[in-house]
Amino acid sequence: MRFSAEGWNRKLHYYLGLYFLLFLWLFSLTGLLLNHPRWALAQTSFQRIERRYETPIDVPRGETDLARARDVMRQLNLEGEIDWPASGQKPGRFEFNVSRPQDASTIDVDLTRTLAMVRHFDNHPWATFRIFHTFSGSRYNAPAATRDWALTTMWTLSMDALAAGLVVMVLGSYYMWYRLKPKRRLGAAVLIAGFLACGLFLAALM
Amino acid sequence: MTRVESMRSKGFYTWTRDLHLYLGLFISPFILLFAASVFFLNHAKVAADVATSEETVQNVEIPDVGDGPQSMERVAAAKKLLDRLHVTGEIGFVQYQRKERRLVIPVSKPGLETRITVDLDARSASISRRTTGFWEALAYLHKMPGPHNAGIRGNWIGTRAWQWFADGTIYLMLFITVSGLYLWFSLRAERRIGVMLLAAGAVSFIGALGAILR
Repeated sequence: MRFSAEGWNRKLHYYLGLYFLLFLWLFSLTGLLLNHPRWALAQTSFQRIERRYETPIDVPRGETDLARARDVMRQLNLEGEIDWPASGQKPGRFEFNVSRPQDASTIDVDLTRTLAMVRHFDNHPWATFRIFHTFSGSRYNAPAATRDWALTTMWTLSMDALAAGLVVMVLGSYYMWYRLKPKRRLGAAVLIAGFLACGLFLAALM
Repeated sequence: MTRVESMRSKGFYTWTRDLHLYLGLFISPFILLFAASVFFLNHAKVAADVATSEETVQNVEIPDVGDGPQSMERVAAAKKLLDRLHVTGEIGFVQYQRKERRLVIPVSKPGLETRITVDLDARSASISRRTTGFWEALAYLHKMPGPHNAGIRGNWIGTRAWQWFADGTIYLMLFITVSGLYLWFSLRAERRIGVMLLAAGAVSFIGALGAILR
């Protein structure tokens, strides 16, 4: 069998595209929802059902805040990505948030009374769908926010893989186009137009 | 298939292939921008509270920006202040802090974050600026306009223009995926392995979503 870089590049383009098809559709459609928060569908996605409850718990155990939060979550039967209050912990209290695409909880533990006060929010299915676009457990402008749930890490790796796959597909497409001699001139004009539109726009904004 | 049908089918295939190629080439810089910024969004950390420059402007004529929910009227009033301070960009929100008698207006654009804090009694405005690097600027564009404060989003022409580009990229990307499916399906030799990869992708996708939503 003869190895052909051109043939393999073309196959890689199809194969990556087919493998990532559903991921691409998810990020494209959720991108539209995020870009258009005034759309009726996007507005619907902001509706969520709130439930409040209080429950006695054992004193949270653990060496670190993360371990203590996980102990509280185990007792409350909650799962998800942990987020800490920006203002730090108040004396006698232990506060944190837990979120997943489908729901979120705000937890405030009164350490003196060993009582957990929970506000639980069930997200609308469209919100769940939308949140997958941004569910990375990390915010670049909040260095304290780190991923601490294995499934967030798994989803983040999926996003990275899709991004890497797209870069490979785009670069591979340049090679495929360049090998098509009759399409070179018009292709070059279109490609330059794309880079100019993107570059000049960036330059103007910055 | 008759000869005419065959020719029509070939014509459709050729048109689809050419559109897939040229539209793909045109949006490729935007796809690279969105894809590359994913790594920054997922893994980078920046100290967003460290200003690169600060200045205070005295005797500022302060417009009445009102109080209450965020609205375009309040943003329009705040823009008058921005013009006087020579600040441009998307206004994040307009916050009146009653107790401190202060106005806080964060303003952002790719490469620059500005925070204006107005002391209403002293009639002074302190302007804190943080210049961001190239990657953070790309990440900013990736997130814009975003879902927050929908009622006032797009209050800067740059954001509105970017929304067109971002939408265009998405619509063209959807066209490219659908046309790509058709082009692949037309290649009989690639059908079997293609179906396997499509199925593998679907299993990964449903598996990942299912694990999180279980």
